[in-house]
Amino acid sequence: MFDVRVQHEAFNSGAEVDRMTASRTDIGAVATFVGLVRDFNEKPDVVALTLEHYPGMTEQQLHQIAHQAADRWPLLGGTIVHRVGRLEPGDPIVLVAVASAHRQAAFDACNFIMDYLKTQAPFWKKEHTRTGDYWVSSRTSDTQAVKRWEVTDD
Amino acid sequence: MSQFTHIDHKGQAHMVDVSAKAITSRTAIASASVTMKAETLEMILAGGHTKGDVLATARIAGIQAAKRTPDLIPLCHPLMLSKVSVEFEPDASLPGIRIAATCKLAGQTGVEMEALTAASVAALTLYDMCKAVDKTMLIGDIRVLEKRGGKSGDWRYGDDRSEQPSEAGSIHTAGTSVKETSHLATRTLQVRFFAELREQLKQDEIAVSLNDLESEGYPLTIDGLSQWLRQHQAELASILDRSGLMVAVNHKMADKQAVISAGDEVAFFPPVTGG
Repeated sequence: MFDVRVQHEAFNSGAEVDRMTASRTDIGAVATFVGLVRDFNEKPDVVALTLEHYPGMTEQQLHQIAHQAADRWPLLGGTIVHRVGRLEPGDPIVLVAVASAHRQAAFDACNFIMDYLKTQAPFWKKEHTRTGDYWVSSRTSDTQAVKRWEVTDD
Repeated sequence: MSQFTHIDHKGQAHMVDVSAKAITSRTAIASASVTMKAETLEMILAGGHTKGDVLATARIAGIQAAKRTPDLIPLCHPLMLSKVSVEFEPDASLPGIRIAATCKLAGQTGVEMEALTAASVAALTLYDMCKAVDKTMLIGDIRVLEKRGGKSGDWRYGDDRSEQPSEAGSIHTAGTSVKETSHLATRTLQVRFFAELREQLKQDEIAVSLNDLESEGYPLTIDGLSQWLRQHQAELASILDRSGLMVAVNHKMADKQAVISAGDEVAFFPPVTGG
């Protein structure tokens, strides 16, 4: 049900959503999130970044996160595309698109997937700035964000 | 009494009566892998094969096979499958293709035989499609990865093996057994480093002999491995002490107590920063 891809090439979020909803009449809502490269981060003047991943494990983790979302909300489809390699400010990095019959499930699942992707999927960013290159540090706000989904199962 | 459900008290084969079992939603996922030459894998991925789209053909073959399972396996019930899917993942480390077949139904009996049949026949079809260019292909890793629903509840490959990380189990856990067998003789494991760790170390992987660990009295756990690495490679100490260090065993997140064995792939990496 979930299409998971890690790729160098750019993606077209509109085309991805169209593909997911083509010939479907049961889908009532699609929530999408697109992450882009900023020109400022820990330092100003970010000119590019390089994204590294762990081939095999990254895809597996993304699938697992998607499965968790599908166990939690009544989803009708989903797409996760994450780019790797060298990217420049303004370039799209990640797409999460989630389809459901109703909007709340789609919004929540999309949010959930991004929070887990940020903290559980093995990707690493190296930023190239005018004053040098450095590996981006993880943010405690991301670790906090993922905690709000940790409810106890009944 | 026999432990086998398909053998009755007289030792004769029989089909189990499932009339009284509740109808529940059931899912089974089975895997297979086809190991091939790197050139063969490239050719499949490039779509340049004379017989046409290899993966699309193997997918249809797997789906068709799932529907014919009761014709092939004598005591298997005919089932109204509600879903069959066959997914492929190229794996350059084999090199080859990993196959995951998922079967679902709402019914009174499990669907793992259907998933196993789908995975097996998809693998056979891959072989058939590519045999003209590569006769040495190896079909392996045929096993049930996951079962959901039914009286015995959810089950995942690894649950029955000791000390596996408990959050195991997406379809790609198929990973390790080919490597396990090929590394058994030497009892090594592969340790990989990513991102900043790899740059600091100027090395992306090292092979570690489990015999060395054992003979020097280190436990076969991630913790034992870390201690051994510190002792033998001083520059590793700062890397392994890094705050927020993450570790994975065979592509699954693990902790310090995780048990390691021959053929495993252990990875150390800094906190992740994707998205």
